[in-house]
Amino acid sequence: MTLLITIFVPLQVFAQEQPINTTNSYPSDSAQAWLAKMSDAVKSLNYTISFVLLKPGVDSQPYLWRHGVNEDGLEMEQLNLLNGPGREVVRIGNKVSYFEPNVPPYSLQSSIINGPFPSEFLQNPEKLLMGYEFIMIGRSRIAGRSAQQIRIISKDKSRFGLNVWLDQETGLLLKMNMFGQEGQLLEQIQVTGLQVTKEPAPFFAKIEPVMLPEVVSFSPSAPLNSQWEIGYIPKGMTIVKRDLRRLARASEVVEYIMLSDGLVDVSVYLQGRDNNKPQDNLVGTVQSDTLLTIEHGELNITIIGKLPATTANAIAKSIQRIN
Amino acid sequence: MSQKFENLSALVDGEHVASSSSSSHVLDAVKNDADLQLKWKSYHLIRDGLRQELPVNLNFDIAGMVAKALESEPAILAPKRTWRDLPLVGRVVPFAKQGGQMAIAASVAVAMIIGVQQVNQADVDQPFNAAPPIPGIQGGLSPVSFDQSPTIPNSDGVEQRRRINAYMTDHKQQLRFKTIQLNYDESETSDQKITNEEVQSDIVENTPQ
Repeated sequence: MTLLITIFVPLQVFAQEQPINTTNSYPSDSAQAWLAKMSDAVKSLNYTISFVLLKPGVDSQPYLWRHGVNEDGLEMEQLNLLNGPGREVVRIGNKVSYFEPNVPPYSLQSSIINGPFPSEFLQNPEKLLMGYEFIMIGRSRIAGRSAQQIRIISKDKSRFGLNVWLDQETGLLLKMNMFGQEGQLLEQIQVTGLQVTKEPAPFFAKIEPVMLPEVVSFSPSAPLNSQWEIGYIPKGMTIVKRDLRRLARASEVVEYIMLSDGLVDVSVYLQGRDNNKPQDNLVGTVQSDTLLTIEHGELNITIIGKLPATTANAIAKSIQRIN
Repeated sequence: MSQKFENLSALVDGEHVASSSSSSHVLDAVKNDADLQLKWKSYHLIRDGLRQELPVNLNFDIAGMVAKALESEPAILAPKRTWRDLPLVGRVVPFAKQGGQMAIAASVAVAMIIGVQQVNQADVDQPFNAAPPIPGIQGGLSPVSFDQSPTIPNSDGVEQRRRINAYMTDHKQQLRFKTIQLNYDESETSDQKITNEEVQSDIVENTPQ
């Protein structure tokens, strides 16, 4: 009986209001320490994970995700969509290569695969401390393993929340739910198999780094002198990219701004209003992304991303001409 | 007095898991004790508050609202006398009833067959279907609306659809080309070979059709 009682440690509830700090100084059972453990595990362990991504309105998507670190300390990562024709992403160090049907393979220079899960969050969770609050919930059992649940909610309630379950033993991600303001489930990642090994998976030994496709070089765009500014940027978000671009299928030139908080990326498109083509204001969801298009002053503004429509609207309405 | 609160608190915290007999004991006590019921409510409220699980609109007295709704429900009165109550016809009724039962049995069988067929059509069998299905997110069944906003309709004008697709495609492409690295400018021009018309930019996230 005593044994049983020691196993069922009571749920501990921590509500944390801590200043932004280095993660090392947190007590070992705090949410920050757990997330630090997660990011460390994601970067340093040799693991093979299979997971399923669930989104509203589309079929479930099973993935295989492998990661290894070789003797030289080089990180290797592979992400493979298991249904349908082979779609595969391989990362060797800072080179991410995409192998997909109908497209010649190509590589990008990046240290993360911006894949179906928020990789940036997995590697740098401390980036979220600005805009989000981390709350320790307790333990449960996920994918057959003992898991620690952490809730991540937006401080100013301007973005969706996240529930993550981390493996008690290794700290790796076991499950992730993105939920809306009413607590409804928006997107889910469920790990179905987790293997941590001493050596990297044999798959990585077969890759010859020389044979990987060339890195696509981007010609740096000229600095943009925009006459527009965004008045309201949700707490913790920053502008990570800004340029003029042409939409792939349309001939229209738009000004593009990407906002990011380390968890979600939001695209903002500004387009001069064309009086010949009146357009409807539109708000809705495409899978788990919110899409908002409104006319605002002289502009047509379109915002896409995983954020509540009210926040998207607030951002759009705050855009104004620089005086 | 404090002991019974203590027991309740332990139960709410999940500390009673080890000994189920004592937890049922506490539950019985709660059923019969208004004091404990009040505590029950506040303990759960406190817990939800600490976990930040409180809903946007707090609605404390659900049971009371249900009771009120029941009160305002129109009462069902005793059935009127019908032809069945006539002495002669009354004896015929059993046959009619039997027929009705047969019909019901037949319809149940049909329903079962339909049900079985539907189960068989499913790709994946769910052996442990104890929990209710997550609305909207399982499979490609029904799009769920976030934020009470509707899913973008498919047939809302070709032009608009085309524009939305262009934006969505571009958004996915931007996400992919968002490379995380210090001192690297990842801006992109539109005339690259990988942004040509054939390319589906959200391939990694796309479900194969």
